Amino acid sequence: MPFNQKPQKFNAKINTVTIGSGDKTVTLGGGSTFPFYTFDAPAENAPKVGVEISDMGLEGASEGIKAYYEGASTMADIAKKAAAMEGADFVALLLEGGDPNGADKPVDELIAIVKEVADAIDCPLVVEGCKNVEKDAELLPKVAEVLQGRNVLIMSEKEENYKAIGAAAGLAYDQIVGAESAVDINLAKQLNVITTQLGVKPQKIVMNVGSACVGYGYEYVVSTMDRIKGAALSQNDNMLQMPIITPVASETWGVKEASASEADMPEWGPQDERGIDMEIMTAAADLVSGSDAVILRHPQSVATISKMIKALV
Amino acid sequence: MAKFVTIGERIHCISPVIRDAMATRNPEPILKRAKEQLEAGATYLDVNIGPAENDGEDLMKWAVKLLQENFDNVPLALDTANKKAIEAGITVYNREKGKPIVNSADAGGRIENIDLAAANDAIVIALCSAEGIPSDNDERMMYCQNMLERGMMLGMEPTDLWFDPLFLVVKGMQDKQMEVLEAIKMFSDMGLNSTGGLSNNSNGMPKHIRPIMDASLVAMCMMQGLTSAIVNPCDVRLMETIKSCDVFKNNTLYADSYLEI
Repeated sequence: MPFNQKPQKFNAKINTVTIGSGDKTVTLGGGSTFPFYTFDAPAENAPKVGVEISDMGLEGASEGIKAYYEGASTMADIAKKAAAMEGADFVALLLEGGDPNGADKPVDELIAIVKEVADAIDCPLVVEGCKNVEKDAELLPKVAEVLQGRNVLIMSEKEENYKAIGAAAGLAYDQIVGAESAVDINLAKQLNVITTQLGVKPQKIVMNVGSACVGYGYEYVVSTMDRIKGAALSQNDNMLQMPIITPVASETWGVKEASASEADMPEWGPQDERGIDMEIMTAAADLVSGSDAVILRHPQSVATISKMIKALV
Repeated sequence: MAKFVTIGERIHCISPVIRDAMATRNPEPILKRAKEQLEAGATYLDVNIGPAENDGEDLMKWAVKLLQENFDNVPLALDTANKKAIEAGITVYNREKGKPIVNSADAGGRIENIDLAAANDAIVIALCSAEGIPSDNDERMMYCQNMLERGMMLGMEPTDLWFDPLFLVVKGMQDKQMEVLEAIKMFSDMGLNSTGGLSNNSNGMPKHIRPIMDASLVAMCMMQGLTSAIVNPCDVRLMETIKSCDVFKNNTLYADSYLEI
């Protein structure tokens, strides 16, 4: 009997969200199939890869990352090199130095860095908060304000601060809102509901549904993304049809497999390679589970994942 | 499983306001009722133009265009005894949000509405009765089989026939209620979709009692596998019950604000 291919068709679509302005933009989402199911329908937009840089510069970066950015002495230099990385679709600026439990940089200082980075590059920009909900509620609305017209994605809108960040980014300054939940399907949906209730258009929202490094409770990430894509497509749940962006690097470079030095763990081999492995494995798993974009740090990871996407789409 | 489909019943020519609006082609009252129902969570809107013997075709076309143009191609159930009017409505119908529903066929004099649905790639509500109320579920299921076979012979997908068990009024037919629920289970076991005028159960009851009876019945029906109902979506208690049952059935993903969407 001949094989009759029957495509799985959904009467639903992931929203299309465009980040960036001018000639250089990236578009996330738009698909109506499960990830990489190109045999069901051609992909509307291939998943995208972002390069993460930090307001803390290259402090704590691995050898390979430092080598790539060699000669870059200012945040502007670092941003330019990140944008020029092979396979990069956008740059993500992590404002980790704002964390009151860390460097606790004042908002003004961070805003100066945001401006410096934004002025240095014309590619689409994503800004991530410092992980502290109170500080982010103060910081990110200001980021949205100073980047007016750039159509940037302001991440780190959480249940605790969605009013401040959602209203500033999504309404007042017309940016894209990144709604963040921590591997909790019900909260992911709830955050989209309350953000749209503020008046933010669903087409202006991207979800960060949380991630983990592979080997660190990662199964929950897969089941969360699976369930979200399933509800978005098969149940046509328009409160879950926002594209998903996943910051991978901030999860993977902190685990011991990536951070332990070769001197401490000679039997594990070179630290840089381990970090790249963790980053690539996690990013690949995120993409096949439903991420429409991943954020990475190492140039080799960025090149590899971007090549993988091109081969699969 | 797909979400429970609510078909809003409030655009009905039995209401004097709507009847007058239809006669004079006055959009406002119709748009107002459509908006209320959609905001309350209706998926489909029923458009009942009555027998409409004189200008049914023109009226149905006008109503379909009016509602779909104003409400983002909202899917509609075309409800009239005038077959030509249903066909005319389908000629201007936009399928973007769902197929049109032909409301309705039965196993008796209105069986040809199945042919109409088949010829127009529409969904049809198939009332499991021929003349009057079926005496038992053997009779109901015989009608169900007849209509299913007719639709399938004409190339319809079985899921495009939405079987109506014929909901019965409690005051007078209290002893028949469990039979209706059993019939729904039989449709469901056959993989079929089902719908019906559920609020018929509470006909003649005091106004404050009806939402309680309707909500209780819809919960029992959804447990049995009912996939849709023709209801008043502005009945808050009923809609809250449907949304909650959709969560229990895993038809929708729970979020704290689930009642608000």
